[in-house]
Amino acid sequence: MNLTDLRAKVLPSLITGTSRHALPRDLIRPSDPASDGVLEMLSLVGQALRFERPPTPESFTIEPEIRDERKILADSLRRPLIRLLAAKNSTEHPARALARTFDRMRLRPHPFDLPLMEGFVRSHAEKLGPTAQHWADRQKPQDEAKSYFDPQALDESNWTQAALERRVAYLERRRSDDADGARALVESNWAQEDADARFRLLQVFETRLSLADQPFLNSLEKDRAPRVRATAAKFLARLGAGGGNPALRACLERIKQGQSGLLRKRTVLQLELPANVKDQVASRWIRQTFADASFAELAGAFKIAERELIEASGKDGSLLLALALLATSERRLDLLELVVEHLPNAWEKMAESGLDTLGTMTEPERKSWTEIIVHPYGQELPAAYFLWDWLHRVTDATAPASVLSILLKARFLTKIPERERGSSGPWLEVIAATCPAPERSELREQLAQFDPSPTVSPLLLLDILDGMERDPAHV
Amino acid sequence: MSLTHERIEGLAPDQASLAAARKLLKTPSWPTLAQGDGLIWGECQGSGATPYRVVVSEDDVGYKCTCPSRKFPCKHTLALMWMRVDRSTSFVSATVPDWVKDWLSRRRGSSTPGKKAEDKDQPKPRPSIRLAEMPEATADADPKAERRAAAARERNRLEREAAVLAGLDELDVWLADQVQRGVANFVAQAARACRTIAQRLVDAKASGLAGRLDALPSRLFTLPGPARPSAALRELGQVHLISQAYRRASQLPELLAADARQAVGWSVTRDALLNDSEALRAAAKWRVFAVLSEAQPDRLRRVETWLCRENDGNPACAVLIDFVPNSTGAAAGGYLVGDEIDAELTFYRSSVPLRAQITKLNRGAEQSRRPFTSPMEGLGTSYANYEQALARLPWLGTMPLTFRSASVRRHGEQLYLHDEQSELSLPLDPSLATHALPLAALDRIDGIGLWNGYEFTMAWAETRIGRWLRS
Repeated sequence: MNLTDLRAKVLPSLITGTSRHALPRDLIRPSDPASDGVLEMLSLVGQALRFERPPTPESFTIEPEIRDERKILADSLRRPLIRLLAAKNSTEHPARALARTFDRMRLRPHPFDLPLMEGFVRSHAEKLGPTAQHWADRQKPQDEAKSYFDPQALDESNWTQAALERRVAYLERRRSDDADGARALVESNWAQEDADARFRLLQVFETRLSLADQPFLNSLEKDRAPRVRATAAKFLARLGAGGGNPALRACLERIKQGQSGLLRKRTVLQLELPANVKDQVASRWIRQTFADASFAELAGAFKIAERELIEASGKDGSLLLALALLATSERRLDLLELVVEHLPNAWEKMAESGLDTLGTMTEPERKSWTEIIVHPYGQELPAAYFLWDWLHRVTDATAPASVLSILLKARFLTKIPERERGSSGPWLEVIAATCPAPERSELREQLAQFDPSPTVSPLLLLDILDGMERDPAHV
Repeated sequence: MSLTHERIEGLAPDQASLAAARKLLKTPSWPTLAQGDGLIWGECQGSGATPYRVVVSEDDVGYKCTCPSRKFPCKHTLALMWMRVDRSTSFVSATVPDWVKDWLSRRRGSSTPGKKAEDKDQPKPRPSIRLAEMPEATADADPKAERRAAAARERNRLEREAAVLAGLDELDVWLADQVQRGVANFVAQAARACRTIAQRLVDAKASGLAGRLDALPSRLFTLPGPARPSAALRELGQVHLISQAYRRASQLPELLAADARQAVGWSVTRDALLNDSEALRAAAKWRVFAVLSEAQPDRLRRVETWLCRENDGNPACAVLIDFVPNSTGAAAGGYLVGDEIDAELTFYRSSVPLRAQITKLNRGAEQSRRPFTSPMEGLGTSYANYEQALARLPWLGTMPLTFRSASVRRHGEQLYLHDEQSELSLPLDPSLATHALPLAALDRIDGIGLWNGYEFTMAWAETRIGRWLRS
């Protein structure tokens, strides 16, 4: 009797039950006269099945080819990295700093570690290279799959294949050098872009916006994404094209114009908040109301220059906040600096307003922006964790050396308010995550004065960042 | 803060711990004793299959031991401290090994040397080293008492043999019932059916078979639905084979008979194994390639430490099995994957010798990053060896398989280890579906894993971008 016989004649009886489907008597030869041989057949069939080799599937999935030119993180940093990312009660700041450094150093996590850092990979895939992006997208439907390509240098032929963040940075550079060429690039691929990409690419038009952009902006009036339509309308209004900007009208309705001065009359502006806007939500209301207006439009509406607009608003904190937000969104750091002269607590006010992005600001611009809003505090840096947390989230960059130098010289960490001492871990993490490389040794010395427990993650982070920047063993 | 006898007395949970620690103050129990960076550490061969790893920080008297004891510090920790204070044993200066670094990285800062909470109403006597050092009163051996004890042991053995045979008769009836109702029907109510017979087999002192049947439902439910009836049939068939082999042990080859007795539940103590002059012994350098841990229904955790020989020779692989209470929270044995061990192993008698105990450790385990030097066979050859082993031991469980130039391939959500040459494709353990997925982008991988007849648990793979480990 072979396996085929057993499968055909015996197996059905055993599976369905011998009471329903009796075993063929002619096949049973019990070794013991006292036995009916049924259990021997059970063992025989079971053992025969154990000798069957597992079936090979007819076909296997073809894995996509991923061209990843980044170097793999050095072996010595892999375990510390996983340990840091798996730390309980950790804030998001170490992960942000790590993702930035992966991107800046053109490194990628070891492919074998991707399953051990799922959350990190999903949140920062764009900064971790094509292999990590593919990993993060692996459960997306096939039709949403894209090519995973991350060349060292982007050009016109390959810029559409890179991660969105790199594409925006590339387009930003192209706009500065050749605004028309950059617009042509965007137009050529516009239909294939998703809503998020369309919005972020359109924001780049802030750089060297001109009348030549008008036809393209007009074509966006019927875009499916409301935020794309709103951004296009804002740009058109700034160009003096299109209808009046309704957002600007809404702002102007709330600004009261007056005059002051005895010898030389000067314009004085004041923002009147609606009666139903309470103090604690005023900042948010201001940000939302002024989101689609522009600095130039506002100045134009009062027939004064942009700098005069700041002077005119100089005594009204609410209007100054609105101007600070506009200067930020338009990347006009020259104007922001003037606004902050009148509004030294712009940092706190902007954080309260819920501002959550610096748009297309480059890293140097983000650092300058930070310096502008932090420097008015001098040595008296604010000791509220949410401000530092917000600053890192919104800039997603290391702090300028000048800011960290003030913080370290003032021994700021030792002055954390008593009520926040118990959970100093988040404080130390955010400072370590924003610390530039030259300041790390000084920061380590100051961390040594704390209880060891909350310094474990910050010190590990500093070690890993040092290793990523200096270790020659990346492969 | 330095270690002193007074400090050890202060730390000891009770006098019994100090007395037990004193028995461990012998260098042969400690194949490794080392120091460095303010730490001392060692490996102590206890009653478990794997030695316990102990580390003590001399600065703040923080400590960690891998033994399952619920006393803190345990006797191994106390013994290590004691040897340090006595200076009678030399501690080799060494670089801090990975397992110690791992412990250091997990520590929550230095523990302040606070006083132990003491029961004010009933102050306990402070444990004393002087008391522990006093020789124990040993009763003179009484030949009559020894004969009585031997007779009692023999009587118990005979009673147990009879109970087991009666239990096997019940098992036959139960198996016949399952076959009469159909294996498909059995799958649907496996949990209840197996629980009932497992309890009867426990009563019949056939704990091995009881454990096998108790674990069967959960094993079945890890498999896809359509595969369960066939798997149940194989498992029930093996149970009957064991039962028959046990009854006919006298007609079987000696090693297979020993396998049958162990499968039914007759255990061999560590001492009995080490005193067995005919037991297979193998001295070699071994590499830990997998550590598996599984909670059992009997509130014990089974920890398997799988070793592979670094050079030619047989047996090529071994497994050290420890059982620790679930409540201790220990999920792994003393060894880590990648550790290199220079040791002599003694194997339990078996027609496929795999389970072993460490007889002699020549030096402490060291974490090694070197690739495997063992002569790895291709999957085809390795699988053929498995089939031969299955023929020798029909209820063979898990067996290591090596592979060369194989690849991990995907079919739907299921991963397979595929060998082009032999055209073998072994389904990977579904719990590795995410962890092993990055291997699907590579080809030509070498490695080792564990095959249980249904799923392949890939444990170790050498690839062009480095080593992949299951854990």
